[in-house]
Amino acid sequence: MTRSWRPSLLMLPALALLAVVFLWPLLQVAWLSSQASSVLTGLTPVANNGANWQRLLADGRFWSDARFTLRFALVSVALELLLGLGMALLMHRPGQGRGLLRAAVLLPWALPGTVLALGWRWIFNDPYGPLNTLIQSLGGQPYGFLATPSTTWLFVVLADVWKSTPFVALLLLAGLQSIPAELEECLRLEGAGGLQILRRLTLPLLTPWITLAMIFRLAQALGLFDLVQVLTRGGPAGSTESLALYAYLQAMRFLDFGYTATVVLATFLLLALLTLLGLAMLRRRPGQPASQEPGLP
Amino acid sequence: MRMLLLLWSLGPLLWQLYSSLITPEALVDPQAVPAGAFWTLTNYQQLLQADPPFWQYLLNSTLLGTLSTALTLALAVPCAYGLQRQRGRLRWGATLLLLGAAIFPTVLLFLPLLQLARALGLGNHLLALALPYAALNLPLAVLLLRAAFAALPPELEDAALLEGLDLPARLRHVLLPLLAPTLGSTAILVFLFSWNEYPIALTWLSRPELLTLPPAIARIAGSSLFTVPYGAFAAATVLGSLPLLLIVLVFQRSIISGLTQGAVKG
Repeated sequence: MTRSWRPSLLMLPALALLAVVFLWPLLQVAWLSSQASSVLTGLTPVANNGANWQRLLADGRFWSDARFTLRFALVSVALELLLGLGMALLMHRPGQGRGLLRAAVLLPWALPGTVLALGWRWIFNDPYGPLNTLIQSLGGQPYGFLATPSTTWLFVVLADVWKSTPFVALLLLAGLQSIPAELEECLRLEGAGGLQILRRLTLPLLTPWITLAMIFRLAQALGLFDLVQVLTRGGPAGSTESLALYAYLQAMRFLDFGYTATVVLATFLLLALLTLLGLAMLRRRPGQPASQEPGLP
Repeated sequence: MRMLLLLWSLGPLLWQLYSSLITPEALVDPQAVPAGAFWTLTNYQQLLQADPPFWQYLLNSTLLGTLSTALTLALAVPCAYGLQRQRGRLRWGATLLLLGAAIFPTVLLFLPLLQLARALGLGNHLLALALPYAALNLPLAVLLLRAAFAALPPELEDAALLEGLDLPARLRHVLLPLLAPTLGSTAILVFLFSWNEYPIALTWLSRPELLTLPPAIARIAGSSLFTVPYGAFAAATVLGSLPLLLIVLVFQRSIISGLTQGAVKG
């Protein structure tokens, strides 16, 4: 008795589950975004001729949330790439206790977002948190880190940078390890200094890895939710309300499912657009030896 | 420089540890407190004697994480094997789709998934969450395992085929033992992601005794049960971080190799 195991048959269970959890929700959201489905309609979907999209275009809260989300994503990803590169270079150097250093660096990334948000809430506390204690001991006035609409987003960025830089650093570290040490040796023999090596050798060879880390992080940062939901609840004055948090509030607080779907879909389109832009950047790079390229086609 | 890096990574956590071990009065003004009233364990006692006790959340997260990991691997192994046996365009296209799904921020799926849970009566069933969790982790797991299958020499399986071993036997006796390191790092990453998932757990679970750690922490953050709550907050942060500290210390190597392979071989 031989049974045939067709490849497609083997993939079927996994693909079926993926379709239920990814594909069906996307179709559902696309359909629901053209429906009115809220308390007013008794939560039954009723077609409303694109009224959701008209509302979205005129919804100041959506656009200000979009601006915050975009600003947050761009600034935090830029900082994470910069700091991550520094961390990776530091971890790449031989030395004692490398394993322990990596474990310590990895820890913030491994923590649940809500746990670290709760931790940062205490660190930013006004006036008893450690940062304000430090400011006061230096003779300053306590600062409302989470209560100043113009600057609170910067501290959300700080918390995110703390959590996500390790991911970038580890990815870039893998990239650094794929660069043959002989190349660096060659440049050094030609009399190149550390900075020159970084600019002429390391950065060009690392570019695909940097772009890859950027795309991963950009997609995740644009879906910002856990951190702001616990750290700031979107405040003060809505200044740190992300698009995902807005969608969540529309659904769970205002029970407006049709409009939630519209917000979700609009966020998704924004995300897809930016990711494609990133991918286009990745493909435009001049070719490098295949063995050193990350596997994005 | 290394010390600076250590301080940056561990400093905030050490401060939580310190804050969790001192009394509310010491938290507010360390100088004004008599020596005997500085250190305390009451923050931890409060958490462990609350209803439900804090360890319940850790237990829930562990149970769900374990089941999600098992389910993910059970689905991902055959899928990765099948994908590796596909040819040309199909494999390429499927890989691209999986990569797209792997970086998709799952929070955007919460509304339809919530409606699905309601339609199927899955809300407030802790272990039912393993279904969406397995699906959310499948893309990464399949990409990692497919790359590992691709790296095995094809002669190996041909030889086993000649011996007359059918596919389950080949997987069990020949292929999977060789994939053990990849299986390990995949399992740990899936476990971590399931342990940390927030938006879906937040919307699917409402009964306090069923909560996993992330929504439980958010609930503690939103509560005003404690008068000066930050000692308890810090204690919750510490207790919530400890299991992950252990995982990271033990499996550091696997986690890093899984992370980087996932991005590189995808």
